[in-house]
Amino acid sequence: MNSKLSNNLTLFIILVVIGGVISVFLPAQFLTPINFASMGRQFPEYGLLSLANMLAMITGGIDLSVTSITSLSGVMAASVLSQYQTSAMPMGAVILLGILTALAVSVACGALNGILVAYIRVPAIIATLGTQGLFLGISIIITKGHNIEGFPPPFLFIGNGALAGIPMQFIVFIVVALLVGLLLVRTRYGFSMQMYGSSPRVSRFSGVNNESVLMTTYILTGLLSGLASIIIISGVNSVRPGYGSDYLLLSVLIAILGGTDPAGGFGTVLGLTLAIFIMQVLQSGLNILEFSPFFKKFMWGLLLLLVMVFHYYRRRYALRSAVRRTAAQREAVGQA
Amino acid sequence: MNSIFRRNEFYLLLVIIVFSAAITIVNPAFLTVENMFDLIRSSTGMCILAIGFFVVLLSGGLDVSFPAVAIVAQYITVNVLIATGVDNLAFAFLLAAAIGIAFGAVNAFFISMFRIPTFIVTLATMNIFHGAMLEFVGTKAINAGQLPNAFKGFGLTYLFSLPRGDGTYYGLTVLAAILVGIIIITWLILRFTVMGRVIYALGGNAEAVKRAGFNITRTQFFIYCYAGLLASIMGIIHVSLIRYSNATYIINTELLHVIAAVVLGGASIMGGTGTLTGTVLGVVMISILEKNLVLLGLSSYWQQFFVGLIIVLGVSITFVQKRFQGRRTFALSRD
Amino acid sequence: MKETFLEARNISKSYEGVQALNDVSLTIGKGEVHCLVGENGSGKSTMIKIIGGVVEPDSGSIVINGKAHPNLQAIDAIREGIQIIYQDLSLIPNLTVAENISLNQYVERKVNFVNWKDVHQIAARALAAIEEDIPLDEIVENLPVAKRQLVAIARSLTQNARLIIMDEPTSAITREDVEHLFAVIARLKERGISTLFISHKLSEVFRIAEAVAILRDGRKVGDFPAAELDDRKLTFLMTGREIQYTPYQFDGAKAEAPPLLEVRGLSRRGQFQDVSFSVRAGEILGLTGLIGSGRTELALALFGLNPPDSGEIFMNGKSVRIGSPEVAKRLGIGYLPEDRLTQGLFVGQSIGDNIVITVLKKLLGALGLIDPMKRKKLENGWMGELAIKATSARARAFSLSGGNQQRLVLAKWLATEPRVFILDGPTIGIDIASKSNIHEIIRGLAQRGIAIIMISDEIPEILHTCNRVLVMREGRLVKEIPNASATTEEELNTIVSGKAGNGAGQ
Repeated sequence: MNSKLSNNLTLFIILVVIGGVISVFLPAQFLTPINFASMGRQFPEYGLLSLANMLAMITGGIDLSVTSITSLSGVMAASVLSQYQTSAMPMGAVILLGILTALAVSVACGALNGILVAYIRVPAIIATLGTQGLFLGISIIITKGHNIEGFPPPFLFIGNGALAGIPMQFIVFIVVALLVGLLLVRTRYGFSMQMYGSSPRVSRFSGVNNESVLMTTYILTGLLSGLASIIIISGVNSVRPGYGSDYLLLSVLIAILGGTDPAGGFGTVLGLTLAIFIMQVLQSGLNILEFSPFFKKFMWGLLLLLVMVFHYYRRRYALRSAVRRTAAQREAVGQA
Repeated sequence: MNSIFRRNEFYLLLVIIVFSAAITIVNPAFLTVENMFDLIRSSTGMCILAIGFFVVLLSGGLDVSFPAVAIVAQYITVNVLIATGVDNLAFAFLLAAAIGIAFGAVNAFFISMFRIPTFIVTLATMNIFHGAMLEFVGTKAINAGQLPNAFKGFGLTYLFSLPRGDGTYYGLTVLAAILVGIIIITWLILRFTVMGRVIYALGGNAEAVKRAGFNITRTQFFIYCYAGLLASIMGIIHVSLIRYSNATYIINTELLHVIAAVVLGGASIMGGTGTLTGTVLGVVMISILEKNLVLLGLSSYWQQFFVGLIIVLGVSITFVQKRFQGRRTFALSRD
Repeated sequence: MKETFLEARNISKSYEGVQALNDVSLTIGKGEVHCLVGENGSGKSTMIKIIGGVVEPDSGSIVINGKAHPNLQAIDAIREGIQIIYQDLSLIPNLTVAENISLNQYVERKVNFVNWKDVHQIAARALAAIEEDIPLDEIVENLPVAKRQLVAIARSLTQNARLIIMDEPTSAITREDVEHLFAVIARLKERGISTLFISHKLSEVFRIAEAVAILRDGRKVGDFPAAELDDRKLTFLMTGREIQYTPYQFDGAKAEAPPLLEVRGLSRRGQFQDVSFSVRAGEILGLTGLIGSGRTELALALFGLNPPDSGEIFMNGKSVRIGSPEVAKRLGIGYLPEDRLTQGLFVGQSIGDNIVITVLKKLLGALGLIDPMKRKKLENGWMGELAIKATSARARAFSLSGGNQQRLVLAKWLATEPRVFILDGPTIGIDIASKSNIHEIIRGLAQRGIAIIMISDEIPEILHTCNRVLVMREGRLVKEIPNASATTEEELNTIVSGKAGNGAGQ
């Protein structure tokens, strides 16, 4: 408990510091409503994917296919939308159909991942590496490499509209994040996920249905990717297979930065959200300073390594103090 | 038992033969010497990358940075050659090799010093290397006109030539010799050096290797530097073949193809088992598949899908097999 | 008087405030089979690591062949002929037998190239030395555990071993294999090689050891020639006092009730054959036998982790199929695993988390979400009921002592309100006070009407905690003792070990 708190506190401090530095040096471009709105529109896209990878990592796995699921469900939804929007169906129904298509496709993809990991026992990393190609491949086959463009205007509200001045995506993200947080802390599945990630063996010996924990996890990661696709395609009013492939590194980085242990068992939505904000602020800063997207790639890779190195040292220190604390605790309660 | 090993590669060979036969029926031009030479030419690159990936996989690691190493080594070398005016193939190879080995060393450093999972390290370094190159060196593509002759000449060198009917010639590229050389050297290393045996051992039980007193750090450095070296060699070969250096090539295509080839060849994703023969056969199969998808009535858009499908199916079959083989008491097993 | 090979003098070692070893001395003669006995946590592992030069003691010295080694390193120990075979055997599963045996040579010789002929020769020689015949080109992974052990021993011989230390070598092999192993140790002895054999299984200690050293809580409490010891004395030394057991009386009235759990003809190839028995509410049924007798495998079959090939299971008269622990839990069957650290507890998670994992359904409140109040009540309730001493329910499980950890595992299963509770070695590696405390708890549970199946190695514990005992040998139920209090320890011991006089050729 303590470590979770200190973790999140550290992240909060980092966020404030970075935000502060950028605000001091670039107030004119950073501290504007336009910039904040823009940030609010950008981060939900990869934010949802980061949530997805956080869930996968909590169970000790990883989902490398999130961006491909996004691609595929986006393509399918786009096909439905562009196909039916000129038909006799009412606009609302078309939009609903499109959204449902995206979600259904993403859940199906997630289920495939789940079957591979839970029942065939393929390690998550390799299973999702394979399905990543599979899903992306299907989206390429469907679109033949072209874009699909032009969706019903009301649909575009999701990606471009705002409620009370707050961008729609932002609202969607906050709602989803809260739900995921609730899932982790207050539901049986969320709890079981964390325990499973701690030790699959003990989990099984405790009568937990490991397979359904894993299936649920990957269906959720799929669903989150599907949600992301809706936001993305409505934001740019088009879809291109392979969009957002850079988000994969970002989602892994954010999950780890947010305090999720890739070995499983630990992770908080609060930490993840703070990590997302940190990365978005950094990104905006880099954008304002007109650094190229290549530099960002370089930076994110570097950050990932740095965070892992930092965790390494912190774990060593924590282990030493934990052993000390254990001895002290046993003393305190009388060694029975 | 040895027969199990022979089984996987044998079946793969069988599949290749059957598939080739089927293709030849549809397109008799497939089974000609010229086409064979062409096939060799186009799969040399993938094969070299696959061998590097295979060696890392044997030790229980997963290196996804190799496409980046290949293209970075290539692009930088080409630019340096152009900038300095030195048009020397040996120099090109040396420079590329140095870059490849250096990047491999970076990978090994983070993997052995900080116990970071290999996938995460190489995911990070892939972006670091490539991002840095695109940012600091540039993104301008180099076309055949600007390419130093060293590369172009190299790409057109043949071991021997055969005449076609109309007076032109085709031949077996010298690159094949390089590939064969790499295969032989890798085989020798894996089979006859202590380092090679330790690589296998690491994939089987890293803890035991440590207890036995081996210097694991040194082995890790060797493994990743070797993989980096092979990747950089592939980069030079690649540019010599296609006579074009684009900073975003290789990186988008080769990763999954190589993994699919290695998986097809029977190497275990967890490390410790696999053969070079299997890897090479896997590359052959993937190459043939790539070039002849059209004959199955499928456009080239189906490639990505098939590669992903092969990985998923290949790995699933392996793991399902394992579950049926090991019906031991639950409490004694891993999960 | 035998010549001394190794002397460990006054060894002390502490880890972060915990005293692992306290002034322990040990003498091992040349060609002697010496046994180091003690429960988990007694300091055995630390001792062998110090002898092997893997860990440095805080004080004390190691004398090998008369020469003192003040700063013993692993490489020196190996040079002096000390070889440690760890419990996991440290073999490379994907390499061949020959390579595994010759592995050490690669490091030794500092060569870069492999000479395969040499590799085979070295391996063949080592195997010949212990008169074993194992195909050199077989992949180690494909060998059964007992054979792998022999490969490990052969490997230790390739570096001129003079002392081979085996850490719990018999924990995963059948009785036949144990006999075989002992024969090999005898062969080693003929060649003047000493064996230090770590164990906590008394029956084997007496079969093979010439001298026995007993550790308890980091101190040596005895060092005897084997002939001077017996079960009772050894247990006394290992655990610290003559445990005063009061025999468990099973309420006669309850004996009339129909069985809660009934098993008929349960079989699983290679593990247990045609096992039939029943348990009633309120009974404590003991299940004992040597290693490899199939007890744990049988227990896991009842818990859904090891489905049987044939046979039937009845709960309250109704036929059931137990396909997973989830099903077992639903049927009211609980299982306290053999190894609490890797099977029983999420050591990195909190005490409270460990308690509620089995009963998440009970925590649900409004909207199907976990109710924090219910959760807290459950956690604190069980912590109190089982007297789990910790600073709070949020403390991590690894911070608890052995006894408290075991009570935590008990808590998590008691929370499910089981009707049948299987306990596999519930008091292994627990200090004496906690042991009797746990026995009390078990008795209390039985009095509440739970049917208890207790698996244990310790004859005294079985006889004084259970009212009925089942003895298994090599997968079969060979004897049922209807009234435990009417049997003596000697009698039970005889039945278990199958020595002469157990009648009926079973």
